[in-house]
Amino acid sequence: MNEFIKEGFKRIRALWYLERSGCVFCGGHPSPICPICTRELLHPELGRCLRCGKLIVQERTLCKDCTEGKGPKYLKKVIAWGHYTGCLKEFIQNVKFGANPMRMMQISRPLADWAIRELPPVDGILAVPMHSTRLAERGFNQAELIASLIHWELGLPILQGVKRVKATPPQVSLSRQERLQNLKNAFALQSKELFQGRSVWLIDDVTTTGSTLDAVAEVLYKGGAKEVYGLCLAAGFEKVLVPGFD
Amino acid sequence: MDFYLTLNEDGDVGYTFNQGMDRLPSKVSCLKIPLPLGVIQSVQTQMTKFKKQRHFRLKGNYHERIRSELFKVLNNRDWDVPKLTWEKDFVSLRSETPASTAGKGDDKELLFQSFDWLVRGRQLSWEDLRNLAHELKCYEETILQFAQINVAAKKAEWIPAVLRQGEGWQCQRCGAKDIKEWPSFYGRAGTCLSCMSLGSSTSLKAFYRDYRPLPEDTEKVDFRPHWKLTEAQGVAAEEILDFLKDSSETKALLWAACGSGKTEVCFPSAAWALEQGKSVLFAAPRQDVINDVAPRLKRDFPGVAIQVLTGNAPVKFQRGRVVLATTHQVLRFWQAFDLIVLDEMDAFPYQGNGALEWGLKHALRSNGKLLYLTATPSPEGLKEVHRGKMRLIRLPARHHRFPLPVPIIERFSQRFDPERNPPSLRRDRFESLRHKGRILVFVPKISWIQPWINRFRQCFPEWKIDGSYSSDSERSVKLEKLRQGKFDLFLSTTILERGITLEGIQVVVLGADHPVFDERALVQMAGRVGRTRKDPGGYVLFMAHLETTAIKKAIHWIEDQNRMALEKGLIGEDLKGISNE
Repeated sequence: MNEFIKEGFKRIRALWYLERSGCVFCGGHPSPICPICTRELLHPELGRCLRCGKLIVQERTLCKDCTEGKGPKYLKKVIAWGHYTGCLKEFIQNVKFGANPMRMMQISRPLADWAIRELPPVDGILAVPMHSTRLAERGFNQAELIASLIHWELGLPILQGVKRVKATPPQVSLSRQERLQNLKNAFALQSKELFQGRSVWLIDDVTTTGSTLDAVAEVLYKGGAKEVYGLCLAAGFEKVLVPGFD
Repeated sequence: MDFYLTLNEDGDVGYTFNQGMDRLPSKVSCLKIPLPLGVIQSVQTQMTKFKKQRHFRLKGNYHERIRSELFKVLNNRDWDVPKLTWEKDFVSLRSETPASTAGKGDDKELLFQSFDWLVRGRQLSWEDLRNLAHELKCYEETILQFAQINVAAKKAEWIPAVLRQGEGWQCQRCGAKDIKEWPSFYGRAGTCLSCMSLGSSTSLKAFYRDYRPLPEDTEKVDFRPHWKLTEAQGVAAEEILDFLKDSSETKALLWAACGSGKTEVCFPSAAWALEQGKSVLFAAPRQDVINDVAPRLKRDFPGVAIQVLTGNAPVKFQRGRVVLATTHQVLRFWQAFDLIVLDEMDAFPYQGNGALEWGLKHALRSNGKLLYLTATPSPEGLKEVHRGKMRLIRLPARHHRFPLPVPIIERFSQRFDPERNPPSLRRDRFESLRHKGRILVFVPKISWIQPWINRFRQCFPEWKIDGSYSSDSERSVKLEKLRQGKFDLFLSTTILERGITLEGIQVVVLGADHPVFDERALVQMAGRVGRTRKDPGGYVLFMAHLETTAIKKAIHWIEDQNRMALEKGLIGEDLKGISNE
């Protein structure tokens, strides 16, 4: 009986008071992203390296690695929404490893708003594909999840047709050289005409050196794609150029 | 951890593990794409139903029909793959590896024995198995191979971590039914958010569930108590032993006075159970309690291997039939124990937590016994006693035969909230308390701690004053200092209300009328005073603006315990009330 009364009160309360949701990352106010997280995680004041998406000082266009020619070669431009650290890192890891994909919906609007400001409109969006072994474990491809959110918000069509044909160890455990080697022949085009003359946003969750995005972009260009832009949730920052960060 | 769907020559659907890592009984065809275990099992169920249909056996080519039905089931699933075909997506496998592959070489044999010993009676996620690989210093694949050997020998089983039940889901680790559902690549999937602190649990993941009991030690149980049971304890201990021997009862509640030595009362019964070759679990909701009990248990059971498992334990896989664990760790066991002693049954986070209740139920073997220990039973617990579903064992007196100190209420015209002009401190009151012993001050909220520390420091600049709360990063260091008697006055939230013994301590509850403090919390806080033989008396002050029902109930409860102890002759009549003189 008590439970019944409690439930009744809860429902009546819900008629008067809207449930307030906090910041997606830290739980603070206001939602969906509080000013502190915007400043500490998204760094709107910083620039992004055109080639690999890394966070750099506003005055520069390329990071040190990319200036030396070590960065990706095929992508027209790469942008990362925020810095892969703190609450943003926890958020991405919770979605990926905590099997909590629904949380990603909370960022769809701000992410899409930011993406359309930073990148030119394209013919469609493509998610970095995931190999079937990892898919069986996780049940979803987080890159596809982000792609579907962008599609929902901006109406850009989702493209398919690239397959991950090689199961590779996670990039995070490897060095720069190993990463490049790791991704050799990892992706394949399912049909040659699919991307002919098309421009694409290529989507992934996290980028470090940009090598995964570049490996897919290479396949797309070989398939006749016109322009490939990279879009990620998070990336690292260049320590040398951005002093004051730990 | 990949599972691959297989189809054998008899048309039975099964699975193989990491494509041929395990032993395959006969020639099978194997789907090249890995699938979550839950998906394979649902395909298995559908195929078994199909095979049972009578007309199916009569018509056409058996193998052809099985295959076409399997494709129908697979292609009809709500997933996003191009149509599967036999030639493209299936591969033929024949086992060439015997079951004893893992046994090749002495090192691997030894490794397997260690693994086999450590996983008995456990239910482990992939993350847990990876930790085990790390602790045994071997490859993750080796551990999976070992696990699969036990599964093939029917000693263990792989089960989907979250299982579909009718229209809903149930987490197989914590039993939660409130599962977050989401559309996965393989159709609807569920994630359990209740036990996320132990790693993710989803319908796409699998748990390794070992059905064997904890291994028996061959060594004789050496029980050497360093104390003598008092009369009251002796009676209770006898009754507990009687409960263990009585096969008709499964649950009992030991209702003991605070500081009556209820944990030690269970030791003789634990010793008896161990001698019978049974396994014993001491579970408590908080790490502090476990850390307090562990040295006592180790001292009284020398030579008996005891596992101490808490969230912070550096080694998660240990040996021994006696396990001391926080209630969360219990979720990693499966039908492992003959006796579970649950200390502080009404304490946070156990009370009202269905997940841990479920965990305890499944950690217990069939015909196992569950003994709850508490100083402040919950209404639900007492209800079960009244219904005759649980035996009640009372232990109303402390071992030193002194009564429990009865709290004194001190009323103030203001509330104690530091932000709302709280009453000023009465220096003489605290000085006289300090004269009796060190002072432990309880406050209802974390936000009160620092302002009150500052006020006390202002008032008593010569005293050593500090405080702590649950999320305090220096908590363990401060508590150690407190145990060593390095503070004159220490402030705390309810973290110190249970399971801690501090000699000569005096208790003050600031804002005892705060709704956070129910009668049970107040009884527990009062129970910190006068616990040792050396210092059996002391003061408990409830400082409050109002005299709430909880305060009245708590005092009534304590007085009732004293009365009962006196009636039974368990406390000295001449000593009655001495502690508050």
